[in-house]
Amino acid sequence: MRHNARQDYLKEAMSQFIDLENREVSVAALHDEELYELELENIFAKAWLMIGHETEIPKTGDYVVRLMGEDQVIVARAADGQVHVSLNVCPHRAMHVCLADSGNARVHKCIYHGWAFRPDGSFIGAPIEKEQMHGNIKTKDQLGLKKARVELYGGLIFATWNHNGPSLDEWLGDMKFYYDMLFARTDKGLEVLGPPQRLTIDANWKTAGEQSACDGFHTLTLHGSVIDIGAMGGEADTEHESAPAMYGINLSGNGHSLRCIPADTSWALAHGKGDLTPEQRLEAFPPPGITPELLPELKRNMSPEQLHVLAKAPPVVGGMFPNMNILFIYSPLRDGSLGSALVLHSIMPKGPHHFEWTTYYFAEKGTPEHVKEMMRAAATHGTGTSGIIEQDDSDTWPHMTESARGVIGRTETLKYQAILGENRPDDWPDKAKVYEGFGKDDAQWEWWLAYHRLMTAGA
Amino acid sequence: MSLTVATSTLTREEDRREEVAYGSPVHNSIMGFLIKEARLLDHRQLKAWGDLLAEDLIYKAPVRITRRVQGFADEFGTMGHFDDDYNSMMVRLTRLTTTDNAWSEDPASRVRRFITNVTVWETDQPDEYEVLSYLFLTRNRAEARDYKQLSAERHDRLRMTKDGFRLARRSILLDQVVLGMPNFAIFL
Repeated sequence: MRHNARQDYLKEAMSQFIDLENREVSVAALHDEELYELELENIFAKAWLMIGHETEIPKTGDYVVRLMGEDQVIVARAADGQVHVSLNVCPHRAMHVCLADSGNARVHKCIYHGWAFRPDGSFIGAPIEKEQMHGNIKTKDQLGLKKARVELYGGLIFATWNHNGPSLDEWLGDMKFYYDMLFARTDKGLEVLGPPQRLTIDANWKTAGEQSACDGFHTLTLHGSVIDIGAMGGEADTEHESAPAMYGINLSGNGHSLRCIPADTSWALAHGKGDLTPEQRLEAFPPPGITPELLPELKRNMSPEQLHVLAKAPPVVGGMFPNMNILFIYSPLRDGSLGSALVLHSIMPKGPHHFEWTTYYFAEKGTPEHVKEMMRAAATHGTGTSGIIEQDDSDTWPHMTESARGVIGRTETLKYQAILGENRPDDWPDKAKVYEGFGKDDAQWEWWLAYHRLMTAGA
Repeated sequence: MSLTVATSTLTREEDRREEVAYGSPVHNSIMGFLIKEARLLDHRQLKAWGDLLAEDLIYKAPVRITRRVQGFADEFGTMGHFDDDYNSMMVRLTRLTTTDNAWSEDPASRVRRFITNVTVWETDQPDEYEVLSYLFLTRNRAEARDYKQLSAERHDRLRMTKDGFRLARRSILLDQVVLGMPNFAIFL
């Protein structure tokens, strides 16, 4: 379908895919090919996407190749010291310019006809300069690699093709106040613990996308095995009473979301220490990723309001619309102590029925090396490919997608009708939408509303 | 912290001494161990497989990176798909064998592990061997028409004890950069 016809189709279709009144989404949205093409155009070519961290490319010329939707981009540090994001498509004959997925290069030279580009994407020239093989219709300035707009936030590299859209700050809105507690809380910031895990999941990207927006409810059943082996705060036979990690505060804004959960209600190691005041708790259980040594830095970098949130119930899981999943969680470490795992996933679509699940692990730069190694092992043990928590998620999403193949199956709906409603506690900052209590569907529905807004923005 | 691990720290070529002849009693007994291990895993006898692990186990499957051809020494990341020791492996096995809601393998996949190209070297320890083997693995689940496949080489440290060989180290060098299977709820 041509672009305009697709956009016309969208006007008709969105009301059938999303029932705003009853808070339901048609299962057909997990299957529809027309809708998928529109998502690439209206979401993945418009949204701010997290595509890496600057510590992956510390030196001039360092690069990684990443995905923005189905488009490959070169993420490189150029001679100006800045991070540039350029489409990995030669403007000459559409060959991929960069064939490795990471490395260091002062010049990216296309292997097909030799057109050469700097790490900032600008065109150097084609071989046999005097023959001017780029012709004389377009100037060299017009023949650089297509550039995405880039912003760094806590070292995370965000890029978008929407050059005239909102800034990243505007995009994050009120939620930035909370994201700062994860990404911008220490003097030196985060660093990656290696190149990301990558794998393909046979599922529509939205199955993982909407789950990242605070689906706490699935913990009790899908991750029941983790409760059973005693790693979490509850016990198998009392899970429905103790409901580990279920009571907390969910936050939502612009489709972004976070779940804030006190340590003592989610992890066995912290159990029974719930009588502390918020200030004592901040000392006893610094937020995930903050070692006791880093606590003074945290206190310096955060406002009193932010510190109160961190002490009462730090943000630990959630997402950033449209396709980032966050787990900054407490986790037992190899040496028996209560440590943490800092994990970000990106969910990149690969056709309507597949996505790439990319997993990054982090630590604060000031963390001792041996602790970083334990954090990496803890993250690998809990999350990503072999994670005892997340391997069950990767089993669920393909089933949902398969359900959408049936002509009857796709007439079913995803339902977001368990509503807590905004109910901000008096001592909680007046930022974003706040839902206190047993985590329900509020934030996930907000994810779909953001999806709906972006999909229909140009229609 | 560096982002890649030198390939040599995974292959441990410097630990290899005299190569053990193919068909010799030691080579045969190691081949027998690898076959037994594959059989136990394929038949989901996970507890029995766990008994073959040494308590100082290191079990890693680093992520693979596509590099220019000169870059083999940097093809593996510090991050991995597995980054385990004995205790963390026991937690995995406990989850899979003692709970009735480890959904990633319930219903279970049907897995076959084909082990070939086995090379054995003596080491400085008289009862320990460095072992390189190729792994080809097929995994089928539910009604899937297609198989998920995986190929890798494994660099193992095997230790002979009074109860037979024990696996003390396994570095799994995968051939896929982007894995085609959705998880490693199985062992390699």
